[in-house]
This record gives sequence, structure tokens and C-alpha cells, in this order.
Amino acid sequence: MNRFLNNPHVELTVRWLIGMLFVYASFHKIAAPSGFAKIIYGYGLFPNISVNLIAIIVPFIELTAGTALITGVYPKSAALIINGLTVSFILAISANLIRGHEFDCGCFSGKSATPEPAWLTLLRDIGILGMGVFVYRYPRFRYFCLLQTETFSRISHSDQEAAVTASKGELLP
Amino acid sequence: MKTNNTLKGVSILSGIAIFLSFFVNYVSPAGIALIGQWDESQGAIRAKTKAEKVFDESEIKDVNIGKAVFDRQIAVFIDARSVEDYKDGHIKGAVSLPVGEFDMKIDEFLNKYPPDRPIVTYCSGRTCDDSHRLAEMLTAMGYLHVSIMIDGYPEWQKEGFPIE
Repeated sequence: MNRFLNNPHVELTVRWLIGMLFVYASFHKIAAPSGFAKIIYGYGLFPNISVNLIAIIVPFIELTAGTALITGVYPKSAALIINGLTVSFILAISANLIRGHEFDCGCFSGKSATPEPAWLTLLRDIGILGMGVFVYRYPRFRYFCLLQTETFSRISHSDQEAAVTASKGELLP
Repeated sequence: MKTNNTLKGVSILSGIAIFLSFFVNYVSPAGIALIGQWDESQGAIRAKTKAEKVFDESEIKDVNIGKAVFDRQIAVFIDARSVEDYKDGHIKGAVSLPVGEFDMKIDEFLNKYPPDRPIVTYCSGRTCDDSHRLAEMLTAMGYLHVSIMIDGYPEWQKEGFPIE
């Protein structure tokens, strides 16, 4: 398991996956901030004065952090931001699930799809958080990064493995 | 040192995001006001986009005024909700024109009602903006007198006004 979690290819795949997910998720919110603002209002958790500001800023945090994860600019910081956002989503959804607050604005006219159930969103967000925490905690050199601030010996994964095997070999009688 | 680098990254990325967000919101035609209208007692709730500013004056904020307009029998009432909601009950004589089916139904509507015919749109109340969107679409189609009864069908029904 450790070997799997330390594999830089796994890190790259997971990092790109959540990066793309957040970039994708930000698009329709950026295209229609008024609709997103209404969803935030619908949560009934935020003061009226902050609703629009959240709707303006949050999609761009998603976009920037997502892009940073894909391109590998401050990947650890981007993962921290993504995790922060995901924790906030989880808290907001849980709060509404617990108090049984459902917001039906009656906006879904015609053939618009009904929204997915909250527990499914919650489950998905917990999965995303797991992946985010993995990317954040990944201790080694990351592949395909434009700007990685952590200092590592810049040797490849296979070299690291070889070094470990070699050192173990030396200890053997 | 490592934590410092991470926090530095967080501030840089957040800074870029915040700058971009306000910039794009400022230049984008879909941009919204920094503070929206989220107080139901003040009217229909909405984020206030640049395009809809003009609709403040088109709102009928009191359902009794809506009834007065209804009684004069000049305006046509248009139901912006889904066909199912319309079938479950609507204002007497109202025409169904759901926002989602606008493109399909607008030609027939244009043939039936001339552009100078006063129109009142409504949906399910102050938390719903379909009536606003419909008013916007109808104005774009050339209708000259479009009003929005923001309390919608639920208040109308509660007052005991004519339904069918």
C-alpha cells in the first residue's frame, strides 16, 4: 500500500484528476454567477451580505487551485486550498442534511433534471477530500511540475527504489 | 521552512484567484452586484446581474395590485412554471409558457398576442426567478409592457383570487 501511495505516477494521476474536476466545476459557476449565488443563498447558512461575494470568489479559487494542481505550480498549496474548499462543502452539506433543510426554489422548469440527493454529493466530496489529502501529504518529488517549492533530491522513483533495495542488500549477511 | 513555502503558495494562489474573480466579474456581462437582493421582504430575491437592473421597475410587489390588473382584463397573465405545475393549478385564464420551452412555444405566442398587449409574468414566488427571465425574453422579443408579479401563484392562491 505504501509503495502504491509513494508512486509518483499515482500522485500525478490523482492530482490531474482533482485538478480537472475543480476546473470543470468552476466553469458553469463562472458563466452564471447569479445562479450560483442563488444556490448559496439556498443553503441558508451565509449572511445575505456575503452571498454574492462568495459566488464571485469561490469559483475562481476552484479554477486557480485546479489549474495549479494540473500544471504543478505550488502543488502542495493548491491541494491545501482544494482540501479547505472540500471541507467547507462537506460541512455545509452536512449541516443542511442534519437540520433537514431542503431548498426548493421552484426554478426547475420544463425538462431540467432534478438535483442529485445531498448524501450522494456528500459521499463524492468525502472521496475528493481523501484524494486531496493524499496529494497534500505526498512526500516525494512530483512529476510534471512547473513550480515545486519543496526540496527533494531530484532522483527518479526507480532510482529511489533501487537505492532502498541496495541499502537493504548491504544489511543482509 | 516547508510550511512557510506552502503558506506562501496559498497566499499567492488565493491572491491571483481573488484578483481574477473581481476583474472577470467587473468585465463580464454575466457579472453580478457585490451585494445581491436576498431579503424576501424587499422583493424577489436575486443576485442582481447587470442585465436585469432594468427590471426593478417592472416588478409588481403587491399581489393585490396584480389582482387589480387582472380585474381590468386587458393584460394576459403568463405562467413561467413547468407545464406540470401549470396543470396542477394556475391563475384563471393564464397562458403556460415555461422558460425551458420558450423557443418551442414563442412563435405561436407571437401570432396570438401583439407586442403592445400588456403582459404579467409569474412563477412560484419570491425565491423563483423564472418570471424575471421570461419577462426578459419577452421584452427581447419586442413586447412593450411586461410586468412581473413577484409573489407568484402561491400568494395569489392564498388570497383566494381566481384560479383554475
